[in-house]
Amino acid sequence: MAVPYVLKVLIADDTDSDRLILESIVKREGHEVVCARDGLEAVELFKSTAPDIVLLDAMMPRLDGLGAAKQIKELAGDELVPIIFLTSLTDTESLVKCLEAGGDDFLSKPYNRFIIQAKIKAFKRMREMHVTLHRQRNEIALHNEHLLQEQTVAKQVFDNIAHSGCLDAANVKYLLSPLAVFNGDVLVAGIRPSGNMMVLLGDFTGHGLPAAIGAMPLATSFYGMVQKGFALVDVLREINQKLKSILPVGVFCCACIVDMDFVKRRIKVWNGGLPDCYLYRAKTGEVEPVRSTHLPLGVQGDKAFRDDCVYLEMDLGDRFFMWSDGIVESRNHEGGMYGEERLRRVFDSNDASGNLFDEIIADVHDYSGEGCRDDDLSLVELKMVEPHEVDASVDALSGHVSTGLMEWALDFEVKPSTFRLFDPLPLLLNILVEVPGLRRHSGSLYTILAELYSNALEHGVLGLKSEWKESPEGFSRYYTERTERLRVLIDGFVSFHLSHKTTADGGSLLIRVGDSGGGFSHVEKLNVGHKTEGYSGRGIPLIRTLCESLRYIDNGSQVEAVFSWSNDQ
Amino acid sequence: MSIVSSVSDDGKELVISIQGRFDFSAHQDFRNSYEALTVQPSNYRVDMDETTYLDSSALGMLLLLRDHAGGNTASIEIINCSADVKKILTISNFEQLFTIH
Amino acid sequence: MTQAVDLEALAALKDIMEDEFTALVQTYLADTEARVALLHELLTQQDFDEIRKNAHSMKGSSSNLGASLLTDLCFQVEQQSKGNHLDGLDTLLSQIDEEFLLVKEALENC
Repeated sequence: MAVPYVLKVLIADDTDSDRLILESIVKREGHEVVCARDGLEAVELFKSTAPDIVLLDAMMPRLDGLGAAKQIKELAGDELVPIIFLTSLTDTESLVKCLEAGGDDFLSKPYNRFIIQAKIKAFKRMREMHVTLHRQRNEIALHNEHLLQEQTVAKQVFDNIAHSGCLDAANVKYLLSPLAVFNGDVLVAGIRPSGNMMVLLGDFTGHGLPAAIGAMPLATSFYGMVQKGFALVDVLREINQKLKSILPVGVFCCACIVDMDFVKRRIKVWNGGLPDCYLYRAKTGEVEPVRSTHLPLGVQGDKAFRDDCVYLEMDLGDRFFMWSDGIVESRNHEGGMYGEERLRRVFDSNDASGNLFDEIIADVHDYSGEGCRDDDLSLVELKMVEPHEVDASVDALSGHVSTGLMEWALDFEVKPSTFRLFDPLPLLLNILVEVPGLRRHSGSLYTILAELYSNALEHGVLGLKSEWKESPEGFSRYYTERTERLRVLIDGFVSFHLSHKTTADGGSLLIRVGDSGGGFSHVEKLNVGHKTEGYSGRGIPLIRTLCESLRYIDNGSQVEAVFSWSNDQ
Repeated sequence: MSIVSSVSDDGKELVISIQGRFDFSAHQDFRNSYEALTVQPSNYRVDMDETTYLDSSALGMLLLLRDHAGGNTASIEIINCSADVKKILTISNFEQLFTIH
Repeated sequence: MTQAVDLEALAALKDIMEDEFTALVQTYLADTEARVALLHELLTQQDFDEIRKNAHSMKGSSSNLGASLLTDLCFQVEQQSKGNHLDGLDTLLSQIDEEFLLVKEALENC
């Protein structure tokens, strides 16, 4: 609603001649005039004609100026309708009363035409500003509402993609605000088929939707790949590449990703841009920091990207902590920063490691006071536990069992150009985990497939001798040869035949792996005892413990394993 | 916050000096200091002598400058960093992309 | 002799009112005549509050027509009636009667 150039002016004065003069002055300015003789008429006219400015005589019969002003201001509500009192009252008390009644200005008699014009002009401008302000305020409020709606939708999409994964596992504690994604913080965690737990804590630059947008491809890639059995480095590279290609220059994600092995009791860490992670030793109470040694994700292209990790041994009970900079940068009323020293002190003064997590949060809250906003605090604790403690919770999380693939067979052949560049196992495993009942056994299946494939490729196609691996020098020779022979390879193949059928109380999977090599004297080898020492061996005894049966066919270039399970395993 | 820049006489070096807080509010001025040049300098120096504070949007701006200056072939030095500034650059490992003094 | 009506003010007023100047003068004169009569009546009734209000209004309208002396007399009536003094009031009212006639003459002839 724009303020018209021609204003509607309401004039209320009980003296006829005064009214006439005022009317003429205002009309000469080009404005429209509405006249009232007393206060009551003034209020009625205000209601019916909605003037832009009101000129009110202070003293009038029936309802006087003050009373009329009060009513008019109430009727105007949010809108600014200036009221100018016409008065020859000069005493302060009266003038104050006028202002209190809602008056914005005074005009004294005798009327000075130029003063009146000036005042009307000034109030017109004020009214215009007020109207603009109103309109803009409403626009802003509306935009704000839209933004909030958009954020809600984005959050829903994000939640569908970045589900909690295995964050509810028994050995994980975490703090992440529900709206953390709009601060750029993202936390994803999943269990690999091998039983390892991979966790990524990320902090995207920026705020709001731009910060949240990067989190989605990150989460999709992460969960997709973890489920298929990809290694940490693969996941890392994929995410980095994706972010580099979709995020604008200058937007990146500081992140820390870990791969926790509960069997080997180790953790592999890559820290690019997050504050130091802490590895807390339960026995000694000591803290080992893991610094950020890499550029954040999304900055470097794949070639320049560095994926070297830190390996740390972890005893049972040891805890690994990672956090975004929100913790260290928490501020109190005076603007002071929580800082690394205080954080370190929480660890040093702790006496029961189970309380560390809560103690950290409590300490930060204490320091920051009421102003502390949990939106910015993201914190994860990973405890080293026995493998079964992790498995148990995973089963509970696995969710529904599809009733899809029951009887089927699959043939798959891998040729030289693929050997060099591509690991076929995640692909095959991806199919297998879709089979009801097989998903739970993806770890064993991966082991079996990995061993058989590696044998077929290295011993079968490349002709490498497993005996070489029996000594440290031979070991390194083996792998040098492997790389070289792979590089010059022209012909050869590894073939997979998988067939699956269900039985009354379970099912069985037949795995046949063949290669283009010359075979080997398998009969003697099978009779050698389980080799637990040394580096070599085809891992056959291990596979035998996992499978129902294992046999080599023909000259040894084909091996057939049968894996079976029952429904109540 | 203010950005002061100067180009050497032969136009080969641009020095950008950031005074005060280097945060999102510096965005426009920072970009203007190098985008508007008709002759592209071969060398850039970012002087943090009077920079009091640096946040992730500042890191982003440095990346933008690097991209503008040729990416991997860019020659950018970040000089006169205070301990606080240096710390932030170190955590993000920006010395892998810039020469930092 | 001080003029009953300020000619400069009147000129400005003519400029504003244009064709309606005569109507204005007539309105004022009729209004004021009635108010003067009313003042006398109110004095008899000793309604000082109403006297004050009436004089106040008359003061305002007279000032707009440039009748300075009349305006001042009304102001004095206003002040006096605040104090509820009967005495000075009738003197003032007589003066108002006279001054009004002068004003009327001046306005009708301009």
